[in-house]
Amino acid sequence: MNAVGEPHVLFEVAGSTYAIPSKMVKHIDMVEHVTLVPNANPAIDGVVFSRGQVIPALNLRARFGFEREKNSITSRIIFTHFQNRTVGLLADAAREFLSIPAESVRPVEETLTGISGSYLKGVAKIGSRLILLLDMQNVLDLSDLPGVAAPGERAKSTHIKAHISS
Amino acid sequence: MHLEEGTELTRVDAAVIEELFRRFHSFKGISAIVGLQEAESLAHATEDVLRGLKQGKIEVNQKLVDLLMSSTQFLEQSVLAFRAQKPQSNPGPLIKDLSALDASASTSHSAGKSVSKRRKADFEQVASVPREDIGLLKWKCTFIPSKVLDEKGINVTSVREKLSAIGEIVKATPQVRGEGLVAFEFILVTKETPSDVADWEASGIVTELMDQPRPDQAVSGSSAPSVAYEIEQNPFIAPSHVIRVDLKRLDELMRIVGEMVIQKSRSDQVLTLASRGRGTVEVSVLKESNLVLTRNLRDLRQALMKVRLVPVAEIFARMPFVTRDLSRETNKKARLVLRGQQTEIDKYLIEKLKEPLLHLVRNAFAHGIENPRERIKAGKPEEATIELKASTIGDSVIIQIRDDGRGINREAVTKKARALGVFVPEVLDNRALLDILCGAGFSTREEADRAAGRGVGMAVVRKTITELGGTIMLETVAGKSTEFTLRMPLTLAIAETIIVSSGGQTCAIPQSFVLEVLRIESSDIRSVNRVDAIPYRDGILPVIRLESIFGLQPEPRKAWFVLVLTCEKGSVGLVAEQIHGQKEVVVRAMQDPLIQVSGVSGATELGDGKPVLILNAAELFNGAVRPPQRIPVEAKKEEEPAL
Repeated sequence: MNAVGEPHVLFEVAGSTYAIPSKMVKHIDMVEHVTLVPNANPAIDGVVFSRGQVIPALNLRARFGFEREKNSITSRIIFTHFQNRTVGLLADAAREFLSIPAESVRPVEETLTGISGSYLKGVAKIGSRLILLLDMQNVLDLSDLPGVAAPGERAKSTHIKAHISS
Repeated sequence: MHLEEGTELTRVDAAVIEELFRRFHSFKGISAIVGLQEAESLAHATEDVLRGLKQGKIEVNQKLVDLLMSSTQFLEQSVLAFRAQKPQSNPGPLIKDLSALDASASTSHSAGKSVSKRRKADFEQVASVPREDIGLLKWKCTFIPSKVLDEKGINVTSVREKLSAIGEIVKATPQVRGEGLVAFEFILVTKETPSDVADWEASGIVTELMDQPRPDQAVSGSSAPSVAYEIEQNPFIAPSHVIRVDLKRLDELMRIVGEMVIQKSRSDQVLTLASRGRGTVEVSVLKESNLVLTRNLRDLRQALMKVRLVPVAEIFARMPFVTRDLSRETNKKARLVLRGQQTEIDKYLIEKLKEPLLHLVRNAFAHGIENPRERIKAGKPEEATIELKASTIGDSVIIQIRDDGRGINREAVTKKARALGVFVPEVLDNRALLDILCGAGFSTREEADRAAGRGVGMAVVRKTITELGGTIMLETVAGKSTEFTLRMPLTLAIAETIIVSSGGQTCAIPQSFVLEVLRIESSDIRSVNRVDAIPYRDGILPVIRLESIFGLQPEPRKAWFVLVLTCEKGSVGLVAEQIHGQKEVVVRAMQDPLIQVSGVSGATELGDGKPVLILNAAELFNGAVRPPQRIPVEAKKEEEPAL
């Protein structure tokens, strides 16, 4: 098996390892400040600046239907460039590059099409590791998510129970 | 290749005709250079007609104006087609009509002094045998400008003047010769004989008697059957990504950049000193340097913003074409009055405003203006007036579209709205009326026509305008008039804002929305009809807390600031913990669809790299905003305080 393959960036979301092709990644930053945006989709944590551009920060945990967690020291925002858009993906951690040979990629198995199955292009098995390859098209299409929630409620759900007085 | 004409020939003004004549003339020349034969011959035919007009041989009437407009439109389409490298359409029918007009004029005036007549005579006969009573000869004069001649003061203009003095220039064609030379070929009809003409050669004019008069190009192109002119409907021609900039503004930019370069080298010196560890670098020197740079940057920003400004004439000038077409389609008569065309607004905004303005003008025709019979019955002049007016107030540009038609029928709107299941308040004021009109899918028209009636229009108009940080207002008087007022920011790139914060969230509010800033106690906030409100002047003002926009709970505190904001729906107060002052900010667009949300017009940065949202008051408070209510003070006391 020749292991040339395509270089990928690996990152963690809720205990699983995901990958996207390196050529889609502009840069990866630590998460410092995300500005809340009212009326945005619930999976959008807010906006950040990247090189003078205002970029949406998409929380992958929320996107995949997991509980949000407070950003930690390992949290990363991965700036991806896809179809002339730049979107920041919030992940629990991102610290690896790996070449994934095309022959190691399998289609998504039935048993995996659970919580994040439909956002996957395939599953790569490298040694004993399972790496889930993200389908950016589906990840960025938020039409399957329910409507708008108050931004503070989502981003800070672990600290503040927001309520809107009536 | 631009063509901007005031083809609004309602009254015959010699200067206007002269100007038009010149424009068509130079257009013809330019077309010839780039090889646009269709456009060239049409421009030529139009020129002929204008010449007749200039000399009073052709009367100004609707047909003439229509023809001129069609001709202009055709030429515009030619330019567009040329730019897009598409095939040219055939101007034949138009040329035929134009030359028919010209010909009828020259035959109806039998005086024989008409130039058209002269030229016609010229074409009918062999030029070398001139009829004695006319005695005209046709010359081909070629002039090649050169540096030597130019030093003697001889150039195209002087040659043209010289030729015009002795005869009539029938045709002038610039030609590109090899080695970068340009030759101008004039065809001159004159009484002068060859001997008179001979000495011109010293002035660089090569003359040549034309034996065979060529048939007029315009006539030769008219073999196509007369059908409706194939003119595509594209009301705007100027490319949307091109700006014409006054050289002075560019010079200003250059000057500022120059200053910054000097400032930079000063800083370099200080840096060198500091890094060598020699000498002491005074903090004050750095401070001063920084101050100068700050000033330079501000100047640069302002100068750049000015470069982006274009006169609203860019869209206004297109409207006569639109109204003419609409007038024909709807059989309604209307006069278009354009005011304040020199008002400047950001190029980006003007591009975005094209469609809304077009729509409002179409609406004026479809809904506002009555047909001539109704107008006379109502005691109004048969011809309606549509007025487009632009002006600048502070940082805003106001654009008004007013028609003196029947006004908006409140009963019809109410009935229709109720039928659609839309809530209609008892008292339908202008503001509520606009809300209904701007609701999606609303149209009082039973059938949609080209002018209006699809019912998507006003919703889109308002959306576009509010997205751009503007507001729209309506003023209508039944039977008299309808007026829409658009208030737009001068530019999108830079905005004067007031920075506020609450609950750790900082926002910028465009200053143009802010009426005043109040300081209130927590106990001033009361709940009225489940909406927070404070006493304000002699009524109450609905307020919204900045935290609640972000879904955060307000922390209890004693004193708050309230920014009184105006939007098209009235006033609303924004309650914030802190006000950080006024700041000019650079607006960054939020382009990604994921963050294109209502209520946010962009983001900026205050020096720490964190995005700060710029809130659009009008959109944000859509739910909360109420028109100012006058409630007696006693009534308020019954309400429980909110905090």
